[in-house]
Amino acid sequence: MPDQEKDRAATLAASATDPTAAPVSGSQAKAPAATEEENAQHFFGEPLVGFDPSEITGSLIVIEGMDGSGRSTQIALLQEWLESEGFAVQTSGLRRSNLVGQDIDQLLAKNAVTRLTLSLMYATDFFDQVEHRVLPALRAGTVVLADRFIFTLIARGVVRGINRDYISGLYAMALRPHLTFWLNVRPETAFGREFKKAQAISYWEAGRDMSLSHDLYWSFIRYQTMIKREFEVMAKRHGFIELDGEASVSTVNKQLRQRIGEQLGIRSTKYSPSAALAHLWR
Amino acid sequence: MTQTFVPTGSMETQESTQKAPRSEAAKSTLPQPGRPVPSRAYPGALIVVEGTDGSGKSTQLYLLKRWLEIGGYRLHFTEWNSSPLVKSATRRGKQRRLLTPTTFSLLHAADFADRCERQIMPLLQGDYLVLADRYVYTAFARDAARGCPPRWLRNLYRFAPIPDITFYFRAPLDVAVNRILSGRPKLKYYEAGMDLGLTYDRAESFRLFQARILEEYDKMVDSDNFVVLDGTLPVNKLQKQMRDIVASKIDLKRFAPRQTDSE
Repeated sequence: MPDQEKDRAATLAASATDPTAAPVSGSQAKAPAATEEENAQHFFGEPLVGFDPSEITGSLIVIEGMDGSGRSTQIALLQEWLESEGFAVQTSGLRRSNLVGQDIDQLLAKNAVTRLTLSLMYATDFFDQVEHRVLPALRAGTVVLADRFIFTLIARGVVRGINRDYISGLYAMALRPHLTFWLNVRPETAFGREFKKAQAISYWEAGRDMSLSHDLYWSFIRYQTMIKREFEVMAKRHGFIELDGEASVSTVNKQLRQRIGEQLGIRSTKYSPSAALAHLWR
Repeated sequence: MTQTFVPTGSMETQESTQKAPRSEAAKSTLPQPGRPVPSRAYPGALIVVEGTDGSGKSTQLYLLKRWLEIGGYRLHFTEWNSSPLVKSATRRGKQRRLLTPTTFSLLHAADFADRCERQIMPLLQGDYLVLADRYVYTAFARDAARGCPPRWLRNLYRFAPIPDITFYFRAPLDVAVNRILSGRPKLKYYEAGMDLGLTYDRAESFRLFQARILEEYDKMVDSDNFVVLDGTLPVNKLQKQMRDIVASKIDLKRFAPRQTDSE
């Protein structure tokens, strides 16, 4: 783990992906080198207030991908597998914070909110979970499985016309994941899967606030294609591990287990789901 | 007259502020998120008061507002931390003490963004005088006092229009702190900066926290073109100074009642 992580941190730092670093290289140079290096390893830009990176003993594993890419299914299976291997697991995801999770639900339902306010509420939700759920878990040596991360939030903001540097800058204090998987699927496939779940497509999944099309299907496809393009850009920049989300659940899961197994030092990555989760295995 | 948020640090941003073609910016009702809005990109005018708690700023802005209201000027008054959309979250966060420096800052930014996108910017576009009791500088001072990285804070509020006048009411620490302590039975947890863990004594914590904030405000005087006023002066004298400055810097006739023109 440490080697790969360092390599990635180094390339990330070199390519100046973090939005706030570039313009202020002068002030950065003044800071002690060791701290900057350590921070770059753990954060995208700025250190989080009152947090010591050396306390981290767990692993942060992120699963990204559009609606219908199979993220939640994979996370449920991975959690069972990791627990059977004796690892403590914590999960996180969007809109799950105690602080503003419900408030965002309400804002989305009312549809009275503007894009910038919504972005900032999501950022609040994100950091509340980082500080109250993810960090305590990582300090305790837990494996954190994150169902989406800053990348979805950045992509959503950027396709709505929010300046990329601005929105990436919001997340400068986000923790850098140990592994980031991207379940890449075609929007058409995602549409089918999402529709099957609820027999409908939601307002926000279809990006209807963006007035792309009155036709729900085309609105969904156009919106998710825009999001996907943002992901393609970020995948290179942030070293995502791209997996084919069109493959079967078991195939994708095997690839995930292998990579996570390497990260955590699990030698044998054999697994088949318990009866409770067997219905996911198709 | 065009001002920029200096310490954001990005040369690109500063250039784009100065070069931004007026007409293009004026077409859009909303600020381009992430880009500072040049102060002449809209016909309205923005007047802001800043200062520590107890510096007298709210009293003075109220009197300025009354003066303008009585004169029949088109104006809108907006207060820090007052967006109804974000209110319940802030209240919950404070009551349950869930807020950290980062989430405290983000939640206030969300509140400001909501007011900015739905009130401040549309009204500035619509040729109104907008009066703001506290503005982004409150966040810069208070959140920096809580330890948030200044660079991050400057980026967070990059979408904010730059005020035409920023009054900074400066009162010595003891004067301001005593005004608050004498008038209030109990200081609230976050108000007193108890989350910083400086001391268990609430009044003492408040004093230490306010001292830090005052220091942060003072740092911005030049970089952000504050008009510094002495918060210890008698109320009416201070108000006279404020009105004189407003009248000299802002073409108030433009905000006068429209019917006067037709007569």
